[in-house]
Amino acid sequence: MKIALLELRRQPRRFGGAVAILTLLGALLMLLGGLLDGLTEGGTNAITAQRADLIVYSANSGAKFAQSRIDPATAAVVAGTDGVTDTGALNVVQLGARLPDSGPRDLVGVRLFGYEIPPAGVGAPPAAGEAYADVTLRDRGAQVGDVVLVGSQKSKVKIIGFVPDTTYVLEPTLWANVETWSSIVGANRPSEQLGVGVSQSLAVTVTGDPLAAASRIDAATGGTTTTLTPAGVVEADKGVQSQNATFGGIIGITVLIAIVVIALFFALLTAERTGLYGVLKALGARSGALFAGVVAQAMILTLIASLIATALALALEVALPPGVVPYSLSATRVISSVGSLLLAAVVGCAFSLRRVLRIDPASAIGGST
Amino acid sequence: MFLALKEMRRSLGRFVMLIAAIGLLVFLVLFQAAIRNGLVTTFVGGIENQSAPVLVLSTDALRQLSASTIDAATQQSISSVNSVAETAQMGQVVAPVTAGGESRAVSVVGYSNAELGGPTTLVTGRLPQVAGEVVANLGDAADGFAIGDTITVLPAGLPLKVVGQATDIDLGFPTLFTTFDTFTDVVRATNPDAGEISPNAIAVRPQAGVSGETVTAEINALGDDVDALTRSQLAEQSPGVAQVKTSFLLIFIIFGIVVPLVTGLFFLIVTFQKAGSLTLLRAVGVRSAALVRSLLVQVFIVVGLGLVVGIALYLPLSSQKLGNISLKFETAVVIFWSILFLVLGLLSSLVAARRVLAIDPIEATTGAGVGR
Amino acid sequence: MSDVLVMTDVRKIYETGDTEVAALDHASLTVGDDEIVALVGPSGSGKTTLCSIAGGLLSPTSGVVTVGGHDLTTYSARELSDFRRDQVGFVFQSVNLVPFLTARENLLVIAELGGGDTSTATTRADQLLDELGLADRAKNLPSQLSGGQRQRVAIGRALMNEPSLVLFDEPTSALDSKLGDQVTRLIRSEMKQRGTSAIIVTHDDRITQYADRVVHISDGVVLDH
Repeated sequence: MKIALLELRRQPRRFGGAVAILTLLGALLMLLGGLLDGLTEGGTNAITAQRADLIVYSANSGAKFAQSRIDPATAAVVAGTDGVTDTGALNVVQLGARLPDSGPRDLVGVRLFGYEIPPAGVGAPPAAGEAYADVTLRDRGAQVGDVVLVGSQKSKVKIIGFVPDTTYVLEPTLWANVETWSSIVGANRPSEQLGVGVSQSLAVTVTGDPLAAASRIDAATGGTTTTLTPAGVVEADKGVQSQNATFGGIIGITVLIAIVVIALFFALLTAERTGLYGVLKALGARSGALFAGVVAQAMILTLIASLIATALALALEVALPPGVVPYSLSATRVISSVGSLLLAAVVGCAFSLRRVLRIDPASAIGGST
Repeated sequence: MFLALKEMRRSLGRFVMLIAAIGLLVFLVLFQAAIRNGLVTTFVGGIENQSAPVLVLSTDALRQLSASTIDAATQQSISSVNSVAETAQMGQVVAPVTAGGESRAVSVVGYSNAELGGPTTLVTGRLPQVAGEVVANLGDAADGFAIGDTITVLPAGLPLKVVGQATDIDLGFPTLFTTFDTFTDVVRATNPDAGEISPNAIAVRPQAGVSGETVTAEINALGDDVDALTRSQLAEQSPGVAQVKTSFLLIFIIFGIVVPLVTGLFFLIVTFQKAGSLTLLRAVGVRSAALVRSLLVQVFIVVGLGLVVGIALYLPLSSQKLGNISLKFETAVVIFWSILFLVLGLLSSLVAARRVLAIDPIEATTGAGVGR
Repeated sequence: MSDVLVMTDVRKIYETGDTEVAALDHASLTVGDDEIVALVGPSGSGKTTLCSIAGGLLSPTSGVVTVGGHDLTTYSARELSDFRRDQVGFVFQSVNLVPFLTARENLLVIAELGGGDTSTATTRADQLLDELGLADRAKNLPSQLSGGQRQRVAIGRALMNEPSLVLFDEPTSALDSKLGDQVTRLIRSEMKQRGTSAIIVTHDDRITQYADRVVHISDGVVLDH
């Protein structure tokens, strides 16, 4: 082991190329993972932030707000279902927002929520014409007290506070009471306005097992609703599923590439060291010790590459202007990427094991080295 | 050629591994290029392949068709612009439907004038002639959007019949093009409480001889609440398109560096390892140019075979659908990346070539070149 | 005094296609305690094969080989590996120092790889380097040492495990005559000082004067043992 480490220290240039390639592959893994997480979180933060146990949509809406309608009769059935402790409307509409001091064509896309049961980090529904804003809006220059103009009719919404990341479909959110929401939709999107007592969905709190309560609600409404936990809404999102599968496949193949690259590099190195290994075996070194050195080198190179890749990935997150790319690098993603690379290092090295085992110590005598 | 092939045959394992690495990289690049193009087409195919050269949205819609509303007064103002020859209404709504026995969301686009907002890529069937008829995207045919299929808009149960199919007309979802009247029926079928249904966009035909850019500038001069763009501008600047393109650009840049780096490093290491043999060849009279040529032949073969492997892996996937995204085998994309990787691979091997050129044949007598 | 190496009727047969080649043909050789034997023969005579078998690098096809009382013919590959580590020293034709290790580290290489007590080994390495006149070169890499100095490091490495037998394979072939003479003298003095037996495989007649006995080998047959 010590000899393997000394080689790394004393002949770093020999390994520079491999480290560069592994760094890029590591950066690629983190970029892909960060994009996937950014897409998922940015698309669904507002859902995962829900404190309600369940969200009720109309059946066949695909758990999408815009395609869902819950009329008052259905809402009453839901509220009366065994185990349900509270229900509240939950609606959303997409609008263009003008921040103070922004140019006439300088708008930010926002998702205006009308709510009754506050999500995590959001206070009780504010007064008419007021809203909490997602912190990503603050990144774009909004401040508490700002009056934001939304929609073609430039309806006024006053920001009374910021809430933790509750983005939805990769856009910042505004959280207003249901009446404010209805009024703004009626003025700006008359084709999307809802009737009195009608909501796009219901946020529901329950006692006991939420999944069991969900089944009871859907049974009580005669199958005209689809009730899911917030996590279930995210999982049911076909777009999210497709994203996960596609990115997962790309990440998997990238790890496979890392295995092949490491295998290739160490196969070349081992071939070059055949003479040296022959001598060491002649002197009594065991194949296992020599191979352990190879594995140690591979893992150290991979760790070094991972550190640099992590730094690059973090630098990218800082450098990217908000909204340009949906990118969110978490510690979990970094750890899983590094772990994948380390696993690739061990597996890649295994291709050299046979060669190390086959080196004949007798080749050291006779000047054949 | 003789030297290059002999060496490759004798060290088959390492060359096969390199070809495998390059093949996988090429496959990933082609696959991701297809996803990128498929995503963009899924987002804005319906914009790119409709007949209106210019579209006017409300500024607050941020170039998202379904989020835009244009009232009658604004439409009148647009029609009054000198460079505008003709206008028509367009609308878009995302509606829950059942199709092919499954519940799904579809995008319904309505046009009041087929020549100004209708699909341009009709391949089978015909355009709608009566209420309740639609043109669907050819790529969605297997999902219940084939000619003759009936799609039911929920919750009202409004039936829509597919009478034609066009290529690449999706707008984020499986998309149906229909008349504006049917479009308003769909809006009411999905939301009985809907108020006034205004068009989401105004389709504009410029006067003869007037460019799209001129018309858009004149329309935008009407006020800050209108956002006029040419068809290609709207496709380019629709939400999500820029993000998709930027995201994939970052990925492609990394791939573009990894492939030549892997190739270059491999050949540099191998050149160092066979320095002794190369010195010997130089000493017995083989020219440097011949040795460099042999190296470049190997690079060409390795990258070429890597491309073959990558394309072969990609081919079966290229006709598949990933969720809503239809992948395609785009010859131009394959040719572009093939040429790029070949050139980058050859360039990266110049480092090894330099090493070959630096060999001094006298070292054969001292043994200094051996084992270096 | 007991014999350190006893090879009795050793044969080593290689099969190439349909033919058999006897690299060693009923070879017998003994090397006494504290004896330096020069093994002389033309290329292809079998001297490298004999040395390899004596050092536990190769197993004979038949015959008996004992070194320091160890019967090598019964050893498994793993046992031979341990035997080489603990009982035998090698100095190869091309010196074969690890290029990225210093002189001291080259002496410690087997202790590191074999998982031995490195602090004891370090003390011994420093002592050997001092005795070989290399104390001030302990931290130098092989590329920073002269040919003669590199050979001395190789000798030091061979002596690290206090072997009963050291095998030298053409130790002066890469050195000029003056240096070769110096090294050969050093070999003799170090072996005698420690009472270590040695076999020196050589073409070079000048070396034979430093050996206690010269053994000739030809076509796999030891002519005088």
